[in-house]
Amino acid sequence: MLPVLTRNSITNVCKGLRRFSSALPKSDTEVSKLKTEKLKREILEFRHAYPEFLPDPKIEFRNKIREKLERNDMVARRTQVDIPEFYVGSILAVTSSDRHSGGKSNRFVGICIYRGGCGLRAEFILRNVIDHQGIEVLYQMYDPSLQKVEVLRLEKRLDDKLYYLRDALPEYSTFDPNMEAELMPEGAPVPVNPIKVKLKPRPWLERWERQNLQGVQDLELPEKFYIKAAQVATPWEKYDLMKEYMRTIPVEEQTEIFSEVQSKLQSLEIDRKKLKRKRVIVKPTKLA
Amino acid sequence: MATSLANIFHKCSVTSLENKFLTLSITCSVPQTRKKSMFPFPPPRLRNPTWFTKKNRSKSDEYLTPENREFVKEVVQDTYNKNLPLAQDITTNVEWTPKLQRTGVIARKIGIYPLWMKDGKKVATTLLQVLDNHVIHYYPPEEYQPVRKIRNRVYNKKGCLLIGAEEGDPTAFTKEYCGLFTESGVMPKKILSRFFVSPDATLPLGASINALHFQVGNYVDVRGKTIDRGFQGVMKRHGFKGMPASHGVTKTHRRGGCIGGGGEKGRVWPGTKMPGHMGNKFRVAKGLKIYRINTRYNVLWVSGQAIPGETNSIVYVYDTKLPLRAPTKPLPFPTYLQELDESMPEDVYDESVHVFSDPTIFFKGE
Repeated sequence: MLPVLTRNSITNVCKGLRRFSSALPKSDTEVSKLKTEKLKREILEFRHAYPEFLPDPKIEFRNKIREKLERNDMVARRTQVDIPEFYVGSILAVTSSDRHSGGKSNRFVGICIYRGGCGLRAEFILRNVIDHQGIEVLYQMYDPSLQKVEVLRLEKRLDDKLYYLRDALPEYSTFDPNMEAELMPEGAPVPVNPIKVKLKPRPWLERWERQNLQGVQDLELPEKFYIKAAQVATPWEKYDLMKEYMRTIPVEEQTEIFSEVQSKLQSLEIDRKKLKRKRVIVKPTKLA
Repeated sequence: MATSLANIFHKCSVTSLENKFLTLSITCSVPQTRKKSMFPFPPPRLRNPTWFTKKNRSKSDEYLTPENREFVKEVVQDTYNKNLPLAQDITTNVEWTPKLQRTGVIARKIGIYPLWMKDGKKVATTLLQVLDNHVIHYYPPEEYQPVRKIRNRVYNKKGCLLIGAEEGDPTAFTKEYCGLFTESGVMPKKILSRFFVSPDATLPLGASINALHFQVGNYVDVRGKTIDRGFQGVMKRHGFKGMPASHGVTKTHRRGGCIGGGGEKGRVWPGTKMPGHMGNKFRVAKGLKIYRINTRYNVLWVSGQAIPGETNSIVYVYDTKLPLRAPTKPLPFPTYLQELDESMPEDVYDESVHVFSDPTIFFKGE
């Protein structure tokens, strides 16, 4: 297991390296430098798997002590339920106990069309078409009635939100409820599904032509819609440094946050891998 | 009155009677003139409390050498926070009864997050961090001067406890302001607040109050200053409906419309809801349940997400005044009389709350 590194200890290590660089052979310092760099990068990787551990994007809602307490609670909940890494576009199966039918539990399979919220308010929406009826379920990620979260297919899509599946042809959001989990080789990058979805003709729930969507086919709208979309577009927003600053958490803060929970998260991850291996061995192969 | 008394004396010249009326005759003999006011005009109706002094010193470059700066720091450390009473040393012979009013505390609203109950329900809770509260001064009931005097009424039989929170740099405060803290010996605080207490529920000067002043399962009232929204229209300020966006409506989409009738009532009635300044007022959220207490960071988890004030603003927490939510068990009186140490459990939960490290909830079948 990796030692817990705080931001101070990292800087101390760096300082120490600088001080003794003359005494040590150069290759050694370089190696340790590389090691710390690698460790930093590994810690930073957590932000993809655990985005809800980062503070609120709204600056006025942040408070360090609250966030710390919140993270402790999140880790405490994760010791009881395995919430694996998943992204918008992944296919999930969630088993949860139902308050309204005691003693029973529900299993819902669907594609994740939204993932958001920070801290204990983290949530995601699963969508599926069941008996020709589109169904969406909003799950609270840290709800103690969630029994199991399985990732059946780990992949990303071209967009951050897949709300447009509501206006797409039903086959794009239909998934077999008895789907088997697809195993991926360890350490492989998460594949991006480049599928382009065909939308139903208007009327729609939203003006999709204004949202610069990557994962949809040609919308086949009259020219005036695109002219209007170009008028209301805000292409300068991606250059707005202040907005970017408000929205993002600096790398230093991220390392500080994740190094705090890292050891716990990593031990959880190791447990999960062990379990996975066990599952793979135990699983009987279907014959014929 | 003087003439009638004179008649009595005239009729009966008994010395004993004379003695009896002696006291009366003294008051009568003094000519009844009004005491001259010290003001040439009627005295002010509102008097600021004694602790309302100028707080912050104007900033000036002191050109102190680093050594001197260190020395000032040392002096500050040596002068304050010495011989403060420990929680264990506070003794009281009085048993808590529901009629006794305990002090409140100064806290900071640090955010909102959900807790789940054992029955699976989600409850939004607000986190209130109890700051480093210390008793600065106690005004007994007869000494306390309210801001506005109400005549012909026995008001306020309660004493007043002045409590401070959040240590500040004494060199940044005025001499007058620092003088408020000499009696208690507490490091000057940034926030001061007064709490009315029953004279039996008073605390010694310099005593500290922590989050365990409250107990899980009990209810509190939280007072805070609402978010300042500035001058707002009638739709935002009072929730009016406004008027239609189209169908021939021009220039009146968010306006209030009519503000009164004619004839007898041909004026704007007092209290009519109109545009104006919204927020930045003290408001009390009453009857909030405490679900959880963290003893390490002194945090209360309190039900509800509409507690007045922004995140990171100061609020004041009191035992609730609502009669139906009065505590059933005796409260720590006058406050929690033990130091918080390592042996304490870090979190104290209400029995209805699901602890995050507990196993997943399975609902029982019928």
